[in-house]
Amino acid sequence: MSNEHDVEATTEADDSDELAPREAARLLARAEREARRQFDPSPPWITAFGGGVILVAYGALWLSVRGQHPYSGPSLGVVALVYAAVAVSIAVSAKVYRRATLGVEGPSVRQQRREGVAILASLVLGSPVLQGALYHYGAGDAIVYGVIPAAAPLIVVGTTVMGIAASKADRPQFSAALAVVAGGVVAAFAGPSGAWLAAGISLFVGVLVYALARARSQRAQAAKIRHGPT
Amino acid sequence: MDPLDQVIHAPARLRIVATLAALPAGETLSFTRLQEILELTPGNLITHLRRLEEARYTQSEKNGNGTASCTSVALTPQGRAALNTYTDTLRELLGAL
Repeated sequence: MSNEHDVEATTEADDSDELAPREAARLLARAEREARRQFDPSPPWITAFGGGVILVAYGALWLSVRGQHPYSGPSLGVVALVYAAVAVSIAVSAKVYRRATLGVEGPSVRQQRREGVAILASLVLGSPVLQGALYHYGAGDAIVYGVIPAAAPLIVVGTTVMGIAASKADRPQFSAALAVVAGGVVAAFAGPSGAWLAAGISLFVGVLVYALARARSQRAQAAKIRHGPT
Repeated sequence: MDPLDQVIHAPARLRIVATLAALPAGETLSFTRLQEILELTPGNLITHLRRLEEARYTQSEKNGNGTASCTSVALTPQGRAALNTYTDTLRELLGAL
């Protein structure tokens, strides 16, 4: 009872505190900024981190196959390193996503989960299925372990993300996905070792451009709150 | 110039409304996460939410029973509109200063 009395007293004190308009504007801007930071499932820094992982992984793959005659594919050690780097990147992203959506429920969270499943399915199924089919029909190592694993994920996952971005009218995401798909097309014709280089560069550029666009859009939103719509 | 909405114009309630408004319309936030973000005591948060609910700016829903129960809070369309009006009024006031 006394606890409830204290709470009422605190609330009354909060109400009677003279809050100057300038102080209220500062408080509002700070609360909005903090809330956006708390609820952001993929902050720009995590996207940039993913870009760094991509650059290292594809760079290692390209270095391991550069100058191979005949082409035999990346070494098992490099493939293991790449899988480990991708697993770390996915684990960090998943942790940030879980933290951002903790306690949040509703249609947009369910939509994000469905989008995640679609992207994961295209990533896991797209390239391995094509590689398996091509291997089955006797395609050479340059195709099965070179061109397809380098180019196909970019084209398959990129078009999936393009569809998702188009449905949300998310221009930065759509443009980044389009750049990645274009990179995948270039990689498909860059030869088995050149494919890894082309794929790595286009994926890195696409992800970095997206991270910068997100950071810019967040700064613009904050400015809009401070100064009003223009 | 309209006066500032006194239901929102209190530090704790301003932060509650701004935090809930950062979620897309139709989303709910658990009471515990809201409390964690705002660093308010449960009693204090309940009292401020009660005031906002009386003005129909927020709505709370209790899901489940007993220890597994969880209260979720959401900003109503009226609450979102009130925050927009409050922000506009604040801008006018600051522009006039």
